[in-house]
Amino acid sequence: MKLLKKLKQMKSKEFFKLVFNPFSRIAGLEAFGLGLFFVVLMGIIGTFSHTIFDGVLDIHIVQDSSLANSFIMLGVDILALTLIMWIAGLIISRNIRFIDILGTMTLSKAPLLLASIAAFFTKVPDTNTIMHNPMVLLSSVSFIVVMILIIPITIWSIALMYNALKVSCGVKGGKLTAAFIIGLFVAEIVSKVAIYFFVK
Amino acid sequence: MLPTYCPSCQAQLKVKCLKCEACQTEVNGSYNLPLLALLSENDQQFIIRFMINSGSLKEMASELKLSYPTVRNMLNEIIKKIKTDEK
Repeated sequence: MKLLKKLKQMKSKEFFKLVFNPFSRIAGLEAFGLGLFFVVLMGIIGTFSHTIFDGVLDIHIVQDSSLANSFIMLGVDILALTLIMWIAGLIISRNIRFIDILGTMTLSKAPLLLASIAAFFTKVPDTNTIMHNPMVLLSSVSFIVVMILIIPITIWSIALMYNALKVSCGVKGGKLTAAFIIGLFVAEIVSKVAIYFFVK
Repeated sequence: MLPTYCPSCQAQLKVKCLKCEACQTEVNGSYNLPLLALLSENDQQFIIRFMINSGSLKEMASELKLSYPTVRNMLNEIIKKIKTDEK
């Protein structure tokens, strides 16, 4: 019985590790392929559920969205995140491959697919109504529930991004944390600016 | 597994005596342990597998069912340990 319990504990530990750090098992081209699959799904589902990812850390439910804009935004997000994290990785470590950063960072966006699915269960009031009375958002229970659901999803994605950088450049501790925080902040700004110019 | 550190004070052990099993000759002295013997059993296994795989991290990754950067990080950790032991 004790052994069975221990095995179960090991399995849940292994599962937890796989959920937050799949990159010890998958990286590079494989991770990029899998990540791309999730990103394409996100783009398609997001278009129908009116969810846009207009920044590395941004998820917004809007009234109208197009397939082209969804994919442009996702493309810009991944490109900005990968390039900035690659530069951050090069600063703190010499042992880093671009394909590892590209693959792991793309896969780290996968949890956001849940956000685009969750958005099917709510509707955002039109902009004029919100501008006139912002409190209208709080009167929609489904909107509040979806917003609350999106918080752990975003945290999960950020945890994956952190582990993606950790595995890709093999650095630990304060140096890694500082590079990640600064990198994420810069990537968010770069993606926001790029989306502003590319999406009409 | 060969003991490499003193169980009492944790200092590095030295080889005092070697014996020939065939003629019972004993060689006494104070010899340093080889660098590889100072590594943990897991690290030694890793190095053996690494050599068997002709030093290919890609093959090591598929054998261990781990990602390439994870295996490379494991190797870097061992290199760091060897460099520390060398000093």
